[in-house]
Amino acid sequence: MNVQVENHDKVLVAKVEGRVDSSNSQDFERQLQGAIGEDVQAVVIDLGQLAYISSAGLRVVLLVAKTLGQRNVSISLCALSDPVQSVFEISGFNRIIQIYDSQADALAAAG
Amino acid sequence: MGDRDNPDYKILVVDDEPDLERLVRQRMRRQIRRGKYGFEFAGNGVEALEVLAEKQDIDIVLSDINMPKMDGLTLLQQIPEVNSDLRSVIVSAYGDMENIRTAMNRGAFDFVTKPIDFTDLEVTIERTLRHLDEWRAALASRDKLVAIQNELDVATKIQQSILPDTFPHLDDCEVYGCMHAARNVGGDFFDVINLDAGRIGLAVADVSDKGVPAALFMMSSRTLLKGAAIGVEDPSTVLREVNDLLNETNEAAMFVTVFYGVYDPSTRVLTFSNGGHNPPLVIHPDGSSEELELTGGLALGAIPGFEYGQANVRLNPGDLVVFFTDGVTEAINVSNEEFGLESLQGLFQAPPTPSAREAAEMILQAVKDFAGEAPQFDDLTCMTLRVADE
Repeated sequence: MNVQVENHDKVLVAKVEGRVDSSNSQDFERQLQGAIGEDVQAVVIDLGQLAYISSAGLRVVLLVAKTLGQRNVSISLCALSDPVQSVFEISGFNRIIQIYDSQADALAAAG
Repeated sequence: MGDRDNPDYKILVVDDEPDLERLVRQRMRRQIRRGKYGFEFAGNGVEALEVLAEKQDIDIVLSDINMPKMDGLTLLQQIPEVNSDLRSVIVSAYGDMENIRTAMNRGAFDFVTKPIDFTDLEVTIERTLRHLDEWRAALASRDKLVAIQNELDVATKIQQSILPDTFPHLDDCEVYGCMHAARNVGGDFFDVINLDAGRIGLAVADVSDKGVPAALFMMSSRTLLKGAAIGVEDPSTVLREVNDLLNETNEAAMFVTVFYGVYDPSTRVLTFSNGGHNPPLVIHPDGSSEELELTGGLALGAIPGFEYGQANVRLNPGDLVVFFTDGVTEAINVSNEEFGLESLQGLFQAPPTPSAREAAEMILQAVKDFAGEAPQFDDLTCMTLRVADE
């Protein structure tokens, strides 16, 4: 698992690669929380290279979404592969976190 | 840093040569003054054991081999019985490989040769103390690990103890459930709740993440669910109530996926609400199967005030419903392949459907066989409802 961060003006794009499960979810949380600075206005998490996410990984996404929500920072996900999309649909998280087909769509909405 | 009366390390010198004490005190005077080493002296093995029994804080025994009453090699054998937290260094004649080998076999950590070169001795002592420090640190962290492991074992027992172990076995249906916990305490549970008018509440759930916090979250989820199930009619209302209660205090953003259904044997109708859980599978006697719909739910604990959907399905004689957690379908083998839903469906292609118990045990066995040597990351939970044949 690896998190790479790019800044597009005040929008932070975090690209997550590999697998996120209970063995590395704490590391995932540290990397993601660490990447989000004070002056960020929107966060886009690009899951295009994410092969697998377990419920422990979903918890981190939820935690980050809740923290950002309290700061009025918008958060969205994009480019989910079919298996990852299905994890979000079954858990119902697609109903509480905005999901876009592509990073471009997510950036356009966040811009 | 130690001082003269309370040195960092204590060394017991065992030798029948009376001049050695004076020599050591003279050559090591700086280390003694600075409180680095403190020395005790004994004239033979018997005296050495007496000192060790009296002073439990000796770190190194530096012993000669040939001594009256008890020699150094015998002493080496006796030391672990009085103190196992020290290291021994043997003083031997130059080239006396046979005694050195025997001493090392009996647990000596190192040796120095006579006549003693004090610079060399200090190097040996320092190396021995470094080793001893590392050993003690490793021991301390092992003790901590053991304490953590004990805690996890307790949590696993709590988790197992709340699961039902007797199941309804009625004329018109039977229920069975089992769970294989992963090494790390997870948060799977299932429940079979006797409701009024012969109806049965069936729940299967999976708490996000692992460990003691997950186990505690699982405990409260299960209690809240049981309480709500007994007081409330609709599965969707049960999930809404539990969700709101779980959201009252949930700093860690934990959540639990729950499938909750109420089965009425008199009408064969299963009414259910799915809170973000992987959908159960209905297997028909002809081997065909389908997943139950998702009912637009959300994992419980995520956000308060969520309205859950509900659906129902009328089962037929011989139908088997398999409720499970993703530990079953997402189990991986050594090649990192997932067991998958198709493998689960594939188990039941030959009619007729097995009994509830056979089905659950077949599934867990198939997952175990598939995983082989691959470690089990997640709890495996499987609950089955089998409608009686006509």
